[in-house]
Amino acid sequence: MATEDRRSYADGFGQVSRTVGIIFRYLLLAATLFGIAVLAILLVYVANDAIQPLTADAGWHLTFFLTLVLPSLATGGYLAWSNVDGLKLGAMTLGLFVVGLLFSGGVAIIFLEVLPPLVWFAYVIAFAVPVAVTVGLQQRSRQIPFVSRFALATLAFYLSLFGFPGIVGSYAELPQLIPSVATLILFAPIVPLDWIQLTLTVGVFAATPVALYASAISDRRTGLIAGAAALATVAASAVVGPAVVGVGPIPSVVLASVAVLPTAAYVCGTAVTREQARIGLVLPVVIVAGALAGEVLVDTLGYAGPQSWVDWQFLTSDHSGTAANAGLYPAIAGSILLMLTVAALSFPIGVGAALYLEEYAPDNRYTRFIDVNISNLAGVPSVVYGLLGLGLFVTRLGQSTGTILVGGATLALLILPIVIISSREAIRSVPSEMRQASYGMGATRWQTMKNVVLPRAFPGILTGTILALGRAIGETAPLIMIGAPNVLYSFPSELSSKVSAMPLQVYSWASYFATNDFYEKAVPAGVVVLVTVLLAMNSIAIVLRNRYQRET
Amino acid sequence: MSTDDLTEDLTRNTANAPPELLTRSFFFLCAVLSIFTTLAIIALLVTEAAKFFSVTAPLMGIEGETASVVEFLTGTEWIIGEGKFGVLALVTSTVMVTLGSAIIALPLGVATAIYLSEYADPQVRSLLKPALEILAGVPTVVYGFFALIYITPALRTVFPSIGTFNLLSASIVVGIMIIPMVASISEDAMSAVPDDLRQAGYGMGATKFEVSTGIVVPAALSGILSSFILALSRAIGETMAVTVAAGAQAKFHNPFNPAAYLDGGSPMTATMVNLLTGDITGGGLAYRSLFAIGLTLFVITFAMNVISELVAQRYREEY
Amino acid sequence: MAEDGINRREFVAAAGSTLGALGLAGCVENDRVRAGGGGGLSGSIDIAGSSTVFPLATTMSERFKILHDGVDFNLQSTGSGGGFANHFCPGRTDFNNASRPIKSEEQDACASNDVEPVELTVATDALTIIVNNDADWIDSVTVDELASMWSGEEQPQTWADVNDDWPDEPIELYGPSDASGTYDYFVEAILHGGENELSHRQDYSATEQDRTIIQGVVGSEFAIGYMGYAYYSENTDRVKALAVDNGDGPVEPSLENAKSGEYSPLSRPLFTYPAKSSLANEQVASFARFWLANATNRKIVADEVGYVPLDAEQQAEQLARLEAAIWEANTDN
Repeated sequence: MATEDRRSYADGFGQVSRTVGIIFRYLLLAATLFGIAVLAILLVYVANDAIQPLTADAGWHLTFFLTLVLPSLATGGYLAWSNVDGLKLGAMTLGLFVVGLLFSGGVAIIFLEVLPPLVWFAYVIAFAVPVAVTVGLQQRSRQIPFVSRFALATLAFYLSLFGFPGIVGSYAELPQLIPSVATLILFAPIVPLDWIQLTLTVGVFAATPVALYASAISDRRTGLIAGAAALATVAASAVVGPAVVGVGPIPSVVLASVAVLPTAAYVCGTAVTREQARIGLVLPVVIVAGALAGEVLVDTLGYAGPQSWVDWQFLTSDHSGTAANAGLYPAIAGSILLMLTVAALSFPIGVGAALYLEEYAPDNRYTRFIDVNISNLAGVPSVVYGLLGLGLFVTRLGQSTGTILVGGATLALLILPIVIISSREAIRSVPSEMRQASYGMGATRWQTMKNVVLPRAFPGILTGTILALGRAIGETAPLIMIGAPNVLYSFPSELSSKVSAMPLQVYSWASYFATNDFYEKAVPAGVVVLVTVLLAMNSIAIVLRNRYQRET
Repeated sequence: MSTDDLTEDLTRNTANAPPELLTRSFFFLCAVLSIFTTLAIIALLVTEAAKFFSVTAPLMGIEGETASVVEFLTGTEWIIGEGKFGVLALVTSTVMVTLGSAIIALPLGVATAIYLSEYADPQVRSLLKPALEILAGVPTVVYGFFALIYITPALRTVFPSIGTFNLLSASIVVGIMIIPMVASISEDAMSAVPDDLRQAGYGMGATKFEVSTGIVVPAALSGILSSFILALSRAIGETMAVTVAAGAQAKFHNPFNPAAYLDGGSPMTATMVNLLTGDITGGGLAYRSLFAIGLTLFVITFAMNVISELVAQRYREEY
Repeated sequence: MAEDGINRREFVAAAGSTLGALGLAGCVENDRVRAGGGGGLSGSIDIAGSSTVFPLATTMSERFKILHDGVDFNLQSTGSGGGFANHFCPGRTDFNNASRPIKSEEQDACASNDVEPVELTVATDALTIIVNNDADWIDSVTVDELASMWSGEEQPQTWADVNDDWPDEPIELYGPSDASGTYDYFVEAILHGGENELSHRQDYSATEQDRTIIQGVVGSEFAIGYMGYAYYSENTDRVKALAVDNGDGPVEPSLENAKSGEYSPLSRPLFTYPAKSSLANEQVASFARFWLANATNRKIVADEVGYVPLDAEQQAEQLARLEAAIWEANTDN
């Protein structure tokens, strides 16, 4: 609004020296676009090297132009002209689906390679049981004092996860008397099939928000039906996936839970709530249908596609000394695991520190010191963090080099200041009237934070954390410093196994392998995968922030 | 302040209840962790670097080869094989990359900030800002390859004598990388300039160009300066792009000689990576020099961050 | 909002009924209960050390991995010295690759941690001098010319400064940085080879990665560089290797000439050092045997990686040393 006012003021004096103003304006625009243009050109070059679109038949290009590009452009153009909201909705749906696909790839890798579904299933149940106990205790909060409730809840968690006497007992070399819930399931004589375990866990995790979302826009009954339908979809995918698409049951379940369900829920939800923009859903339909039709056509007509280096084989193979066989799989898995470790370490600590500084800390010199210190830490170069990881975790604490734990901890320290700073901004943007209202109702500080501040600040915190995690998985120097391996063939299975990461693998290929194929094709292919993942993460964060800013 | 007092009053009765104490102490520990991180960095760098210098090495119980502090700080040759550890040979390369990237990023960054804050309409802004953020989101090692594989060959058509590893291509990519930093901090500063000032300018008959350059930029100067310092500190600490693009030859350059940019160099960060991946006798003097460079780098960037903080505070106009 | 949300219990009941039937039908016997140790080798093998030996170690591990899928490899290129000091001697790796023999201070460092390195020669490298394909005025170079070209004392600026027959163009030098073993070897063989002790000049384009030296030389007609033979052998069409004349006429760098010793003084042995204690682990011993058994394999060592394979006699000698170490390792523990 202010800009509008300003412009009308400025326009009133337009006659004086318009040329200077116009030149200045366009110079500024050119300066703004310069960096973006340079990066775009470089990305086009690298994508060209990696995907090699020119190696495809002319017929291939023509087919896809006719089935995919032309209809999408026409639909998009029509929507842009007639219904911009619709266009946004369509793009959003498509983006959600693509990001969901990327994400489900990551999750599927974890279940296929690192975490056997049974182990995951056992621990989810072992967590669910004490959580249920805690919720039950919480409802009797009036009868039982906090300390007893806390002790009972802790006991429930301990027994469920470790049994009795559990890890404490194993230090004292006591025999295990009562097995933990996790152990009971892990060694049960009869267990459900892999995909049923996943449906019961991942599927439920995915179906619950669907049910909540549906009941929020309609009523409880619809929510229940939507949730059940979602779960049924996941279960059905395990049968349909292998039979129709040729994807194994585990990836099918993950794909259905992580990519299909959220997109479907979003589509159904917006179709109901935003009637004006509903027409925009045509866009993703046109694009997906166009891609499928193109694929079928080039297959039947026999046109060869581009000899892309970014292909299924590249994504799913291990490293190899020959560029053509080399793949990024262990590095992708390594990056995912590092990211999980970094998130698990930096998120609670970062948000905790931000809460302390914003909500509790008195305004005195010590607080200001912590404050200045955090912004200084954000400016410390990543190599220095690498040295810290090397000196502290490896040399002093005697961890072995290059493990997930050391890498994750080093990167977590690196992004911690960024997480703290962005979380503080999000927390600060929650109006203090809301806090006062909560206090006025007799809520304690922690209750206020839990019920008022955190839910409101959560999207902002999440945005900052995602951006910071993007920074963490793009980092190479700290990993080199802590001695992460350049090449590994297998997946890290525990926190103390060695880990490689995408940027490190790409750097190693470019540095230690002699053939030109590595340099001119495998490396660009790796760069394309890495940049795609990071762009996806950045766009999630940006979309999240835009929605969140609009709301507040 | 008054709302804080109100909060204190309202929560006093429950402040010492067990759940409150528990959460409060946990959050406090989280905040204090940052102090421990800083202390750990300083302690580690100082003790390890102390093993490198002849003055302090005996205190650390180190025998054998050491290096002189004076030679480290004033020497212009860095030849590990001959025991010459002159950090200036590395610092000059770092300075050159920083200067080179500054020439690109500072004007472009400020121009971007002016455009976004004064000229761009909200639609354009909402497209440009995320696009700029992506510049900062691309991993630095990728920028390094861009410099080596695409930018250097392109530069060769203009400067035929340019080396395969050169500080110019490294400066260009580092410059592009830090544009968003300059732009976003400067833009925040410009947005904070009250509209009254602008309108007073227009009231005096100034054009938009005059208001932007004559009122908004001077009023936001402290923020702009602090963005410069932060961005330069980032350029100094930038590692992978320079490691890949600038080469590994420690060489004393004159940073103000444009021709030197066509030559390779080994900035401090790149030297550290190469020291750790090279064939040197590790554990010896060369390995310990890693921490001496690390300490130098840390001191420089830390000082710049503090200065930026001071500039932003001291010269901030209060409206 | 709480009223709109679905009741947790109802939801669980709904989910339960949906999956109840499926659940009953979908159970299997838990194979974890029966799981014992699988057949074949397992465990991990950590390898660090010289970037020169790195491609050879990767190729060997890749092949070993095909036979023994249960073994996890972690390979890292840290440089010979960095590998000894930071990884091998503190007992963090099983093998350390080196492009030079272990130094006595490194042996001491290892001994202080009870790590005993076993020296195994795995291949021979021929340091190769490369120029641009367009450099048609030059096919061979003498050791003295090389020494003069790279010496810090003379620092010739143009090709003509070294040899009058060469063009009067500025000479562009590419080589490994002084942190590399190849640099050390070049200094020893060329600059310290004659009667005078020359120092390596510092005004050249240095890089930690051999492959970027090729990149440098490809880029300029008047460039010259040196690096390991492996990288040249992968890029024979992009750069030209010079024959080196050590007084007996120019000798081409080739596997044959390096093997016969004619390509002197620039051929050097490459090593890997397993830790004796690690050899007690079956997978480590087995990989060491595998490596030596294939060290004579021309297809792997020469064609794929580009080093000179061992001959049968050398192989027998190394195998004997390895077997002795494995035997000792197993009896010690």
